Amino acid sequence: MKEYRPKYQGTHTVYVFVESPDVTPQDLSLRAYEAAPDLMIKETCFGLQITGAPERVAEVVATLRALDPSHIFVKDRGFPPGDPRRCRANMGGARPGFFGHEYELSLIRFISGGLEALARREAGDSALDALERKKKKPLDPDRLKTIFDAQEPSHG
Amino acid sequence: MAKIFIYPTTSLILSDMVARFGHEPLGAALGIRERIQTAGFDSPPLQVTPEEPKKGLRWAAVEVPSGVRGRMAILGPLIDHAEAAIIINDADLAFGCMGCARTNELLLFLLRHRGIPVLDLTYPRSEEEGEIFVAAIREFLEKLPKGGKAE
Amino acid sequence: MTDKVRIAQLACGPEYSGVQKEINDAAAAVGAEIFFPDIALSDVKRDLTLFGLDVRSPDLKLAIARAKELVEGRIEADAVFIATCFRCAEAAIVRNELRRYIVEHSTLPVVSYSFTERTTSGTLLTRMEALTTIARRRALLAREVQEGLTLGLDSGSATTKAIVMQDNRIIGKGWLPTIEVLKSAEDAIALALAEAGVSREEIQAVGTTGYGRYLVGQHIHADLIQEELTVNSKGAVFLADHQHGPCTVIDIGGMDNKAITVHDGIPGTFTMGGICAGASGRFLEMTAKRLGVEITELGPLAIKGLSTRVPMNSYCIVFGTQSLVNALAAGSTREDVAAAACHSVAEQVFEQQLQEVDIKEPVIMVGGTSLISGLVHAMGTLLQTEILVPIHSQHIGAVGSALLASGFIREKR
Repeated sequence: MKEYRPKYQGTHTVYVFVESPDVTPQDLSLRAYEAAPDLMIKETCFGLQITGAPERVAEVVATLRALDPSHIFVKDRGFPPGDPRRCRANMGGARPGFFGHEYELSLIRFISGGLEALARREAGDSALDALERKKKKPLDPDRLKTIFDAQEPSHG
Repeated sequence: MAKIFIYPTTSLILSDMVARFGHEPLGAALGIRERIQTAGFDSPPLQVTPEEPKKGLRWAAVEVPSGVRGRMAILGPLIDHAEAAIIINDADLAFGCMGCARTNELLLFLLRHRGIPVLDLTYPRSEEEGEIFVAAIREFLEKLPKGGKAE
Repeated sequence: MTDKVRIAQLACGPEYSGVQKEINDAAAAVGAEIFFPDIALSDVKRDLTLFGLDVRSPDLKLAIARAKELVEGRIEADAVFIATCFRCAEAAIVRNELRRYIVEHSTLPVVSYSFTERTTSGTLLTRMEALTTIARRRALLAREVQEGLTLGLDSGSATTKAIVMQDNRIIGKGWLPTIEVLKSAEDAIALALAEAGVSREEIQAVGTTGYGRYLVGQHIHADLIQEELTVNSKGAVFLADHQHGPCTVIDIGGMDNKAITVHDGIPGTFTMGGICAGASGRFLEMTAKRLGVEITELGPLAIKGLSTRVPMNSYCIVFGTQSLVNALAAGSTREDVAAAACHSVAEQVFEQQLQEVDIKEPVIMVGGTSLISGLVHAMGTLLQTEILVPIHSQHIGAVGSALLASGFIREKR
């Protein structure tokens, strides 16, 4: 059995996704290069991947988030960037995680909207209570009647 | 700062929300990172060796398929360390570490069985749902005391 | 150097079972590479609806979508490898349906396998070799006539067989139990050469197959070293004189069993299993020994008995032997016990392997066990068909090797 010697031991890698009308992935990388000359930065179609000492990565992430807080999203990654074991060029197709990101990015505008709405929320307006109400909400009688009517045969 | 198990464990949205609101997301990336950064026998792509499904016996018996036990070896310890969990219940399109429905059923059971605070959500599909989704996560996390225990 | 054979992997679980490397290594060993068909999330959603199998596991959804993209030609591949966890019911359904779907709607060779964390590249090697041979060496497999003077050697787990052929005829045979792989091979070759009345130097080309094919092949400087799935298919259709159209080849071996659907002499789908010895030739050998008869006498004895009188249906050789001993102790006749043993082996093969290939008639049984008439009878009853056992069927691998090796004579000149 072949021995495995890991590279980049002790580092953290994160994905930084940008889905913004104001900040492009290029803007993001320029800012990242300025803020983190000591870190490994890889540009991607969706944003960036940053690798380095955990504290430094966290600092740079905070700086980048500040660019457009409701449109920049960050996630941990297990592999360092461009790792041949996970690279599309070697696998023939995308790594499985890619599809999951693709799916969540299709909904990310609702998250951005939600983040922007946080500031507008009034104190005492509990979102957890709203969730509960939504789960327990009985069917409106008028709505029920509409459903019944729709089921009635048109003649006979 | 509390350790929050996220489900799906590969979720970009949950990972971001938890970290953004000042807590530590426990997701699959942590388990994979640990393996990728540990020396041993070469077993690409994930450095999950045939030993991992054996470690998975702690969570699932030997007649449970190896893929379930291997995934549990990665994700099981994260559940053990979790102080709270956020679950998206309609995560049908998360792959890889979340690619096996049987593992996912076991993960959810173990999470609920631990008795830690759990926030149940579904993916937002409108602006209104998005607002509640984000606000509920913030509120849930704020209610966790510093030590991470539920109120 | 030719390009690598590209094998598309449709799978759930190998990366988490620690066996992805084993799959990659097995492919690499036979000049192939594994790849994951590149699709988008929208393909997954669309293909899943179109395929109509509503599974829960996302990685199985991915496998279904990838299969559909391959079949519809949007992604090119030379062959397909389907792999899911052993003991997963959901995955077993997907595995079988995808295999059937690919076979029915494309010309891609496909092999499916259910792995555990113990699966090694060695276990997968023969399957991968067959897959790449079918994908890339169709010209070699197209040969229907043996030419010149050639030698074929089948180094099996239980017996070693050698065949000398000349101008499409068998002129020498050797058949010995495998003891020391090289020594048994040399002795079997000597027997075949003696019967043929030719010397080793006169032989124009040599082929080897079976478990010992690499070791023996290198030792005797074989021109063709080839796994037994494709070789046995060629040998079977040659001996049965059924070189065209569909058929199914069943080989119950000493250590594992093969079931191969063949079209025009070229294997389509195949299964190869050998987890439990209760479903192998070994169990029949043990039965013969316990009944105090030669293995050659077991078949005729079984034909005289009635299998339903003795309960025996274990895929484990130890439990199978237990049933056998119990039955004898309870006063069952040797004939009934022999019949039950044959039925038990046939039933295990039928339940565990023949469900994974679509049986096409005629069914040809080959290998040493095909000489056990009781076993052939039991299999025929289970499959409800008359089974063909060609003459020299025990030499199938060696005949296939000698036949295919003659393709190398011209190259050498």
